[in-house]
Amino acid sequence: MEIKIEPRERITVAEIIGNIDSATSPQAQEKLMPLANNKCCLALDLTNCKYVSSAGLRVLLMLAKQFTAQGSTLALAGLCDEVRDVMDMTGFINFFKLYDSIDDVLNSI
Amino acid sequence: MERVDLHPTHNSPCGKYKLRPGKPLPFGATIVPGGVNFSIYSHHATDCTLVLFEKNAPQPTAEIPFPDRWRIGNVFSMVVFDLNYEDIEYGFRMDGPWDPNNGHRFDKTKILMDPYAKVINGRDVWGVNPDWNNIYHHRARVCFDDFDWEDDHPLETPVEDLIIYEMHARGFTKNPSSKVKHPGTFAGIREKITYLKELGVNCIEIMPIHEFDEFENSRISPTTGKMLMNYWGYSNVGFFAPKAGLAATGKFGMQVDEFKTLVKELHRVGIEVILDVVFNHTAEGNERGPYISYRGIDNKTYYLLTPEGYYFNFSGCGNTLNCNNPIVRSMILDCLRYWATDYHVDGFRFDLATILGRDQNGAPMHNPPLLESLAFDPILGKCKLIAEAWDAGGLYQVGSFPAWGRWAEWNGKFRDDVRKFLKGDGSIGAMAQRLQGSPDLYGGEQRGATASVNFLTAHDGFTLMDMVSYNEKHNEANGENNNDGGNDNDSWNCGFEGETDDPHINRLRRKQIKNAITMLLVSQGTPMIVAGDEFGNTQWGNNNAYCQDNEISWIDWGLMKKNTDIFNYFKKIISFRMKHPVLRNRGHFRNCDYMGSGFADITWHGKKAWYVDWSDNHKLAFMLCGKHAKGGKVDDNSVYVAMNMHWQMHGFELPKLPDYISWHVFANTDASPPYDIWEPGKEKKLDNQNEFLVGPRSVVILVAK
Repeated sequence: MEIKIEPRERITVAEIIGNIDSATSPQAQEKLMPLANNKCCLALDLTNCKYVSSAGLRVLLMLAKQFTAQGSTLALAGLCDEVRDVMDMTGFINFFKLYDSIDDVLNSI
Repeated sequence: MERVDLHPTHNSPCGKYKLRPGKPLPFGATIVPGGVNFSIYSHHATDCTLVLFEKNAPQPTAEIPFPDRWRIGNVFSMVVFDLNYEDIEYGFRMDGPWDPNNGHRFDKTKILMDPYAKVINGRDVWGVNPDWNNIYHHRARVCFDDFDWEDDHPLETPVEDLIIYEMHARGFTKNPSSKVKHPGTFAGIREKITYLKELGVNCIEIMPIHEFDEFENSRISPTTGKMLMNYWGYSNVGFFAPKAGLAATGKFGMQVDEFKTLVKELHRVGIEVILDVVFNHTAEGNERGPYISYRGIDNKTYYLLTPEGYYFNFSGCGNTLNCNNPIVRSMILDCLRYWATDYHVDGFRFDLATILGRDQNGAPMHNPPLLESLAFDPILGKCKLIAEAWDAGGLYQVGSFPAWGRWAEWNGKFRDDVRKFLKGDGSIGAMAQRLQGSPDLYGGEQRGATASVNFLTAHDGFTLMDMVSYNEKHNEANGENNNDGGNDNDSWNCGFEGETDDPHINRLRRKQIKNAITMLLVSQGTPMIVAGDEFGNTQWGNNNAYCQDNEISWIDWGLMKKNTDIFNYFKKIISFRMKHPVLRNRGHFRNCDYMGSGFADITWHGKKAWYVDWSDNHKLAFMLCGKHAKGGKVDDNSVYVAMNMHWQMHGFELPKLPDYISWHVFANTDASPPYDIWEPGKEKKLDNQNEFLVGPRSVVILVAK
């Protein structure tokens, strides 16, 4: 899995390419958690992420909670149907702000 | 501050894994910092080896013996570091005596599943053919048991206020007519929550969701050519894991989160969850059955064995779990506590529960330690405990199940007596008992109406529509020459066996269904209905559809269209029961006017008010005084119910009310919809306050206001 972080005008975009599972979620946590400070906004672009496992869902949830605790925002964008469906069925979906695309995130801020 | 006992201290013999001595508690596989703690007990094993697989791999990746010096008592435990939690499956090889006459069947060539496995792999998607050469079919996995419940908690709805709705997790939505996105799954049930709220039930009782093998005993039906499966699931592989094949996310191993989310969403709208649990036997069968878990771990401890070492069969399914053995008792307690704490489950219904009261030789006990432990356990203290108080060994304990004031029972006598009365063949003496919450059975100390779970239908037996459409069972599709399934159905086909176009017969059947649900819902005690009864679901006369994984047992939501009147009736009568606490007392009636209202809490009537001809078994009426609702603690309307199971119309003289109130009709099953039942609160005042003409085979409910 690869994470490309791109600071933009009002938000930081982190593109995730590949699956988030028990093998790759420690890496995701390490790279993304430090961004949760100073009331910023991080948008995860999951267009090229086709599968998030139980471990992956938990890392995303921990990120969301940490961002909220720091007064920051975490948005998830570009989820494919299957990932969205799994997040819904396992109850994780309620903890996130979801957008169809990064542009939608930018438009809503 | 970091603990000093978290670091690896040894290497495995193959050198690949770092290890350290484990902690005996908790049993099973627990994630600890850096690794997994594995713990398993066996009274008679001489040694134990941990077997690790990569997910779905045919052969193990590693076999790590538990060092004997790390054993504490009879518990083998160790921590293995740096495992990929989502990728591994684990099992055990146990060595010990092979001495079947003395109950020992250790076989170290077999890989055994952890009895405490919280996630089980191997049947991840329902019905997908397994690799029959697999050396380890049901594989334990490591569980992420963390979950954000937010502020969810068990609802603790008083049991007398419950309307229990029994369903099969797959059959509830598998039929395409359900129109859900994930048919036949926990997620599918969740999609129907709005429907459940509309119907008005506040508790679902789900048939077994503990991991089971749908392929157990699978065979082709000689009559239909379809595959017969272990569909109902009353035969478990593991008690701590939800069945992956019942989850839409089972293929990803996310069934734990999916089921917890279902419970959370149900609780959010006030619906409780009761699990049907099957501790009376396991899927391992008798000595000819497979080695899945217990047989190879500690056969003599887990199973009731004859003096020659064969398996007692009080369950009718090959073996019987040794429930009152102290070790097994602990396991059952651990299991129920786990479902209560980790899944926020509100209660349990125990299949063939009398087995739980048998001692290690199979004899019934006066004070079974297991049942007592469950009744007094602090964690289970507010859980509903419901017993199916009979077993296949002839022990029938309805009314005498050891209760300690905590256990409720499936009241089989309610079903039998009310069905007989319904078809005109019954006794109003017996009806009088059933309507009152069966004081003849539960009138003793500490029990009360709350001990009685009243039902007319359950998964065992006909659906409600079939109960009024068939005199005989028709289980030919089960391939057992129609020998299986109960014969004492007390059903009546209303004049024709099976489906018919005859409008008179169909009208009578619909009326009988309304009569049945009325009698059930005006009775004291806790009512239970079966999913689909509210829209006339049929199994075409099959009263034992345990193996039918098809349209026979998948409820047909399409029937809602032609049976809207039945659904409408169910909705309104459920709402009526919930609006009238006089129907939902905890204790039994005292048969006197202790509130000084001028009326006793319950009074009996017939064609004449205040007088019952107890020899006329077709007619009975009763009145509940509203001032005595909930033992006089709550003020309610008085309710009068008249039941005429005779084939002719009869006038029932109404009890005279004080001047400031009058009788209003709420329900009259003889009237054509929409006049058969009114919106609760909008009942129609009767012109004639002295007499009501109750139609043939009809039930009437009046409200005084």
